[in-house]
Amino acid sequence: MTLGAIISKIQSSHSYKRASDQLRYKRQTIAEWLPTLPGLPYLYISPFFILFGIFLLFPTVYTLYLSFFTYLGVADGNLFEIQLGAVEIAIPRIANLEFAGLSNYERLLLRDSLFHRSMYNTAFIFFVQVPLMVILGMATALVLDAKFIRAKGLFRTLIALPVATGLVAYSTIFLLLFNDDIGLINYMLESVGATAIPWLTDGFWARITLVIAVTWRWLGYNMIIILAGLQTVPQQLYEAAEIDGASRWQKFRYVTLPQLRPVLLFVVVTSTIGTFQIFAEPYVITGGGPGNATITVVQYIYEQAFLQFNLGYASAASVILVTMVSILSILQIKYGGGED
Amino acid sequence: MATIDITNLRKEFGDDGEQIVAVDDVDLTIEDGEFLVFVGPSGCGKTTTLRCIGGLEDVTEGTIEFDGTDVTDERARERNVAMVFQNYALYPHMTVERNIGFPLKLSTKQSSEEISARVTEVAELLGIEPLLNKKPKELSGGQQQRVALGRAIIRDPEVFLMDEPLSNLDAKLRSTMRTELQELQKELSVTTAYVTHDQTEAMAMGDRIAVLNHGQLQQVGTAEEVYRSPTNEFVAGFIGSPSINLFTAAVDGNTLTGPDGFTYTLEDTAPLEGRDRVRVGVRPEDLTPVSDGSMPCDVTVVEQMGNENFLYAEMGDIDLTARIESRLNPAEDIGITFGFEEEDLYLFDPQTSSALKTKTSETNVDYQQYVQTGNV
Repeated sequence: MTLGAIISKIQSSHSYKRASDQLRYKRQTIAEWLPTLPGLPYLYISPFFILFGIFLLFPTVYTLYLSFFTYLGVADGNLFEIQLGAVEIAIPRIANLEFAGLSNYERLLLRDSLFHRSMYNTAFIFFVQVPLMVILGMATALVLDAKFIRAKGLFRTLIALPVATGLVAYSTIFLLLFNDDIGLINYMLESVGATAIPWLTDGFWARITLVIAVTWRWLGYNMIIILAGLQTVPQQLYEAAEIDGASRWQKFRYVTLPQLRPVLLFVVVTSTIGTFQIFAEPYVITGGGPGNATITVVQYIYEQAFLQFNLGYASAASVILVTMVSILSILQIKYGGGED
Repeated sequence: MATIDITNLRKEFGDDGEQIVAVDDVDLTIEDGEFLVFVGPSGCGKTTTLRCIGGLEDVTEGTIEFDGTDVTDERARERNVAMVFQNYALYPHMTVERNIGFPLKLSTKQSSEEISARVTEVAELLGIEPLLNKKPKELSGGQQQRVALGRAIIRDPEVFLMDEPLSNLDAKLRSTMRTELQELQKELSVTTAYVTHDQTEAMAMGDRIAVLNHGQLQQVGTAEEVYRSPTNEFVAGFIGSPSINLFTAAVDGNTLTGPDGFTYTLEDTAPLEGRDRVRVGVRPEDLTPVSDGSMPCDVTVVEQMGNENFLYAEMGDIDLTARIESRLNPAEDIGITFGFEEEDLYLFDPQTSSALKTKTSETNVDYQQYVQTGNV
């Protein structure tokens, strides 16, 4: 007997029905018995706002605040105190700060060549990575969507599996695979007569290595999204196009692409945000090297904040990063979204 | 324009394991310029037949020819057919103008100006010129329907295929569009295959009607032919609204008897020869209440339609429907007796269900006597 059969047998039994009825009556009784307090719905939705406030809103606002200060160290004493008779409410100071005005921004934007370097590296990865991701994601999704492909589920799982791997674990594997001297990739290249590529020791190739790693990991995720989008395209549009005389390419051009537009936009925007946040891969695979050729913005922020404790400066860098990504995303949505 | 010859058409779905036969050995010729309507219940194979003609389905067996040219293995885009889909299948991201012009853009080398001029011409014909710059989602169902028609007619196709094009419209618009479609088809005189499940629509629109059931062609004929001379019980039951009354009766010489008090004596006994049972069919419109009729019934429901009344009654276990004058309005739960003329009687073989006798009442009454010469 299958599990489903057992479950349906239990559910059709008399005692099960009686028990579930009892439960339903109890629930209904409680619902009747509960007082309807004014504002009760707000109580029900309050957990979200409390958690959102503590873990998202406060850090965001505090980062913005921090970016105008220089961090001097952990603070003692209170920010302010309220004396209410015997009770005293006190908000402790978080940090010892010195107001710096816009000087953090001024230094970052105009004078910090390492920050500029990290911006350039990140932008490089963005410009190579996002088009590559969209094209490959589209291509794999189209192949898996084709009628003649068998074992679709297996291929889909295999391509999507890397998403589930640990960041550091997969980065370490890439570090080994792409090692200039002992890596499998160069071994294979040399064994077919090609010259070895300085994957990790040349700045350009090191960035390419990062692009390959990120693509390998996220391709499946984007493919599944595009595949889901492909499956929502009404079959009749393809039939109408066929009747109207469209070739395979024209069907793709005039039916598939416009229908996929919102899905592709989603992939582009999330990939953009993803590449601007890239951290673990350069941290593990290249360590930002060679010679800062792969240091990314988030990696730079990490170093400033948690190695050198320039919290105010790192906050300002974060604000710049968020601003840039926001502008990019807004532009993408504005020019990629059509009028819908 | 083309004559369509369908020979031994068979279409099976499903591979290796379970085969579903959607279309089973259909033979049919659609004449040049004819409006042929495929009609039948859900799953009878009418849409599949249409899609086979259009090339959207591969044919399992048989051939399809356009004007003597075998197109069975040609792709849809090579057949020069145009199709109107049930949900219109307009390209949502294109304006009405681009939707209508799309087939020309893909299948001809006409310049943008030529296409644009032709689109305007078609839009004028259909009365949708003011909508040319709108997107499909801004249009009502009827307007979308016209755009879909525009896209179909712009190329002067050899064949129009229409798959329940009116079924998404409300009743009033449906009857308007019905007339418009017919006028358009007559004007363009393009060979048209039209699918519907609505027998009224089929009767009203088709030059001829092809009735399908379980993938098999039951009968092809004009509305009058399928109504008056159905080849079998299925066609008799499917055509006509409300449906024909059908029940089994025993043959006793020249008399049909029972169930439940039914007796009827035939003058012409030829159809009864060698049979002890027949299926009897009488159309609701042929039943009249009489004092000593052959069908004693109890009235269950009276539906007043204004111009007439539908009377639902029970003769024993058998449900009967009668269309009677609106001024006859019997109370529910009373007994009433119906009679009918022998010329209106249908008889079917109880085993094969093929027709033994159909309507023989007079048709083609001379209308010349009513024609006023001054009006012609």
